[in-house]
Amino acid sequence: MRDAHISRRRFALMAGTAGLAPPGAFGAEPLTAEGVIRRIQAGLGGDWPSAGPDGVKAGDLSAVVKGIATTAMATLDVLKQAVKANTNLVLTYEPTFYGRGEGRAPAMVTPGRGPVGFGADDPVVKAKHEFIEKHGLIVFRLRDHWQAHKDNDMVAGLADALGWSAHRVKSDDALYDIPKATAEETVALIRSGLNLRGGLRAVGDRKATIRRVLLHPGPMTPATMWRRYSEVDMMVVGEVREWENTHYAADIFTAGEKRALVTIGRVVSEEPGMRACAEWLKAVVTEVPAKWIDAGDPYWRPA
Amino acid sequence: MTAREVVDLIRKNVGVPWNERSYRDTFKLGNPDSTVKGIATTVMATFDMIQRANAAGLNLLITHEDTFWNDRDETKDLAENPLFKAKTEYVLKNDMVIWRIHDHMHAMKPDFTVVGSLRSVGVKGGENATMRPGVYTIPETTLGEFASQVKRLTGARAFRCVGDPKAKVRRILLGPGYATPRMTAEADVVIGGEQQEADGAFDDVEYVMDAASLGMAKGVIMLGHVVSEQPGMEDLANWMRTFIHDVPIRFVPAEEPFW
Repeated sequence: MRDAHISRRRFALMAGTAGLAPPGAFGAEPLTAEGVIRRIQAGLGGDWPSAGPDGVKAGDLSAVVKGIATTAMATLDVLKQAVKANTNLVLTYEPTFYGRGEGRAPAMVTPGRGPVGFGADDPVVKAKHEFIEKHGLIVFRLRDHWQAHKDNDMVAGLADALGWSAHRVKSDDALYDIPKATAEETVALIRSGLNLRGGLRAVGDRKATIRRVLLHPGPMTPATMWRRYSEVDMMVVGEVREWENTHYAADIFTAGEKRALVTIGRVVSEEPGMRACAEWLKAVVTEVPAKWIDAGDPYWRPA
Repeated sequence: MTAREVVDLIRKNVGVPWNERSYRDTFKLGNPDSTVKGIATTVMATFDMIQRANAAGLNLLITHEDTFWNDRDETKDLAENPLFKAKTEYVLKNDMVIWRIHDHMHAMKPDFTVVGSLRSVGVKGGENATMRPGVYTIPETTLGEFASQVKRLTGARAFRCVGDPKAKVRRILLGPGYATPRMTAEADVVIGGEQQEADGAFDDVEYVMDAASLGMAKGVIMLGHVVSEQPGMEDLANWMRTFIHDVPIRFVPAEEPFW
């Protein structure tokens, strides 16, 4: 834990000078995590405020990088696979330590709402830190910058995973005109295309003919739902709140519109974008391999 | 009896100080001074549920959740929305009134949403449960067996589980709706309605995946919001019958929205 804090502070200092070091300026020196992060920062551009979600969450940035793993969520299983694949720098889109606070803040109790956050002394938090330390991993969160600068890749990656890349309507929108099928058939295709277990849930008209689809990895706000749902036959979204967008889709079905809302799971929807991130990295960092590791569908359903 | 008079009776009987600042527990649609023919309680005033209530001659709807697809029932961006217009016109045309009871239900002792949710998943002893009910112990079983029992008892189609189905579990921590609790050292299984999957105040899903990877017996069951909070709205109807005798009071469930 202490090492991680020092690294974070050093990283914050370093982040202010990002962009000064041109790619390849490190010559024959061993490639450190710090060096890789600088190249990623230069490649993606933008500011890297130390208060933002992106940054190092565990590990020593001066460590030499053997290989890079990208994932939507750095679960312990993903980290175990990263070790097996001889990759020690892990880039994750979602948090590592179970919440926005990343296990830094002590667990707090909000009156009436119970505890929030998982503290540093939590057994799972501790075990994960120990695993990271033991195997010399560096875990870095890369969300805002990957999304801001490569937003298209989150959508295009998901379309690619579904086999719909060629069906994009226009390059600046996430609409796809896919081969016609019923909503049920399209859901079955999505399930098998993304190797889903129990996370997918669908609302609306299961017999509707699906042609135009809006892809939306990650969470979707009600405002987007209200504005765009009636433009399409189906929305494929990471996650929504049930009392908002799900309820809206159910009501539109009652009103007689033939559409469907499909939520596939937040992490599942973000994985193809992190696969695209690994591909992008291959051009940015040529010295070591970059590999995508799938966290998989977290959910199952009982028999 | 008017809708306003019904709400006044609820306020008198609720047993906790009335929170005048609650933006949730207010009239959402219709004329509060309309005469009540019958009362329907529900977890969510879906368009489908509204139509079934109307067919049953019930014109005052008491809903736990929102009507217009956002917590504040903010409608300024919906003025031109065809679904908003259709739903609103249906309610007004049929002289129906919608009133929400959310914050006060979670302040009541017991909290019927928690009582109903515990009962619906087969956990005994929760008759006096409140918003933060603490841990309930069940006879030891596996997470998979328990999840199958929950499926049988609730009839839910689309609920989701995380963790090792073979994990031995007996300590249950339940929170209703979006108040899915944080996993603690004292609990084996967290049961809730829904929760942001990652990047929230606490992420149970990733926590339980990692606990399972470490061989710890932990599980999450996300029932879905409607499935989680629905049963308690029947308890609310039963409670209202103890002080409202002039009009019929019925529990009209919203359907689980998922296939």
